[in-house]
Amino acid sequence: MSASLAPECNEVKERYDSCFLKWYSEKFLRGNASTDECEPLFKEYRSCLSRALKDKGIENMLEEARQDMKENDTHHLRRS
Amino acid sequence: MVKVYENSFSYDYSFPAVALAYFLRYPNPYATHVISTDVIDRRFDAETQRLYTTRLHLKKSKLPPAVLKLLPKSILGNANDDSSQSYILETSIVDVKEGWMETESRNLEWTGILSVVERQMYRRPLGIIEVGSRDTSSGTASLIEHAKDTGTDVTASVTLLSRLGQGRFLKQRSKVIEEASSSSRVEEEEEQPKRGLFKSWSTASIQGSIELIGMRRTREALAKSKEGMNVVLDRLRQGGLVAVLEGMRRDREAAFQEGGLLRNALSKGRADSDEESPTVSFDPFDNE
Repeated sequence: MSASLAPECNEVKERYDSCFLKWYSEKFLRGNASTDECEPLFKEYRSCLSRALKDKGIENMLEEARQDMKENDTHHLRRS
Repeated sequence: MVKVYENSFSYDYSFPAVALAYFLRYPNPYATHVISTDVIDRRFDAETQRLYTTRLHLKKSKLPPAVLKLLPKSILGNANDDSSQSYILETSIVDVKEGWMETESRNLEWTGILSVVERQMYRRPLGIIEVGSRDTSSGTASLIEHAKDTGTDVTASVTLLSRLGQGRFLKQRSKVIEEASSSSRVEEEEEQPKRGLFKSWSTASIQGSIELIGMRRTREALAKSKEGMNVVLDRLRQGGLVAVLEGMRRDREAAFQEGGLLRNALSKGRADSDEESPTVSFDPFDNE
């Protein structure tokens, strides 16, 4: 499995990834999914990760990217 | 100026297999420079059977020497120290009922020098019946069986934009965004000649050169990305998820080893390293 950018989140990420892969391949991709069964694990993983994103200043970068996306989307729409 | 590169191709694997491989494609032998991959958002809409995902990848990367030569020191600052890694934001929507997946990747840093946005549309070819609803078997084997009679069509488009010279893009981004919402990009471009013909000409030509370098790398990157996906898809066919995860583990180890060797080499003979590991490249999308 791929590593997390925050080593302290690797363990919970691995548990989440395993859960997701099972759900995704056995339920979602077969059209048999009714709920996201891995949501509790994702929340756990996400709370570990968001601390790391804040500490590394990545939150701000993501916000900038969201703004930029709106701009680029205008371009994309104009082209097509 | 904007440059757009477009390309269409197919994978010889079913749509579900490709949609599975997509989330399992890092690391692979063609993408050993991917350091980490995190899911930062994921939402499943039960009604439409769509899965929305946002991931953040961290890759080893570096501005290519050809681009560095074009840039004044004042823009680069201490770029040489910071540019060894870069973040890529990837969003995707998988619609399993209709049989398509739409993805987008973009670089988060250096967007003033070159912003690269890659979009891909994956589709189950028309006329192929839904795979999902009638399939109740478990394991990945049955996802792969369909590979024999169906493939997956892909259209890719990469948009490259250099805003070099619009210096405010480097430091005052939030202000720029406000301005951009009130004035269109076309007006911004037309503003330039007022500042002097020579200056605007040279800025435009540097932007153009950077976009061309980006274009060349994009072409190589898309080819490598397809190779990487095919490796993952082949592992999936040979031995299912177990084989993919095992392959991933080996690729990860290989990448660590390579990183170690590179560090050793650099610490021995290090002056100012212009050397690049074969897997290190500026383009953020070598594997998409």
